[in-house]
Amino acid sequence: MANLKEIKRKISSVKGTQKTTRAMKLVSSAKLKRAEEIAKRSKVYAAKLTELLSEIAQKMQQNNADGIDNIFFQENKNPKKIDIVFVTSDKGLCGGFNYQTIKRANEVMAEYKNSDVEVRLSGVGKKGIAFFKYNQVEMINEIADLSSKPNYEASTELISTLVEDYVAGKTDKIILIHNGYVNMIMQKVSQQQLLPVDVSALDLSNSVSMSEIEIEPDDNDELLDALVKKYVEYSMYYALLDSLAAEHSARMQAMDSATNNAKDMVKKLSVKYNKARQEAITTELIEIISGMESMK
Amino acid sequence: MKLLKLEIVTPDGVIFDDEVKQVTLPGSEGEFGVLADHAALVSLLDTGVITIDRQDNKEVSVAINGGYVKVEEEKTLCVVDGAVALSGEDTHLAQAIAEAKELLERAQSSSMTIAAAVSKVENIKKR
Repeated sequence: MANLKEIKRKISSVKGTQKTTRAMKLVSSAKLKRAEEIAKRSKVYAAKLTELLSEIAQKMQQNNADGIDNIFFQENKNPKKIDIVFVTSDKGLCGGFNYQTIKRANEVMAEYKNSDVEVRLSGVGKKGIAFFKYNQVEMINEIADLSSKPNYEASTELISTLVEDYVAGKTDKIILIHNGYVNMIMQKVSQQQLLPVDVSALDLSNSVSMSEIEIEPDDNDELLDALVKKYVEYSMYYALLDSLAAEHSARMQAMDSATNNAKDMVKKLSVKYNKARQEAITTELIEIISGMESMK
Repeated sequence: MKLLKLEIVTPDGVIFDDEVKQVTLPGSEGEFGVLADHAALVSLLDTGVITIDRQDNKEVSVAINGGYVKVEEEKTLCVVDGAVALSGEDTHLAQAIAEAKELLERAQSSSMTIAAAVSKVENIKKR
């Protein structure tokens, strides 16, 4: 019967898909291990850098009652123009990973647009860029092939143009959105205000005897400027690493459920196949028997 | 002799975390040494070489391409952009020195600072 053949073909096709998804899951889990390791190591550096920055910021806050007298710390209460940077993946097949980031970016954008703030969008990763292009949202930076291979120089290049605009007073805020790695089965969208540095978000609790600290070079601003720039650059780079680890874990999960779905499908199709086969045999038997009956 | 805790962190992870006797750092305003109970200090670091006096009186050098240091009375924390440790056996050392030179030459400092740092690294080889 033709139906029988068709089911057989379907089964083998689903089995083929299952093989692919299983292989992709294995590849992702291997890549995840590496990405996770790199992200973990960078986390130490990021934490120490933040610690250093927060201590200096705190010291300067003590010296100056009305907050820190530095462009990187002064918040403009009525922002006119802000930058949003989002990080998505270059490749698909990773479930809702990119969609979550895009959704958050859209929400933040809408929020600012409602209060008449101009929003500039910068995108990293083909998937997010494709989405916003399709929806005809203009982007000032479109950077592909960076989120799959994070590179410090390239990420610095992107963020430093935005920082320059901020210093020149063209923009009032820089927000970074990416989907970060929590553990094997969880990702979390994180939204971070890069500039102005959000002093309240820095942990100021564990610093000691900071009032007596000496700062070299004597010009506090020089050190602070350098430190803030580094902080922003590194936050950007870390977002890329974090996003890559999250991407792999999301893909692993997606491919795992795809493999399971394929398994279920094969099971269902096999049952269907067996039923059809039995039906065919029954029909054949009936034909033979009725043929014999008519011969009598 | 009182020891101080030294930690050197790079984007690739922690490369040094131990108690040492003394450490010499390439500050942006000039080289300075740190012993235990040093006054609190935060400084920019230039491209150069960190020299560490270990507890067993051995000297370890680490080539860096700039960063920051935070000195507290008990603890010194260096946050650097890139670092190559110069220690170990002869064959390892030669390789490390080559890597260190490459790192230094890529750094974005004045040519004079880089030259000084490179010559320092080369001196380690001769010792």
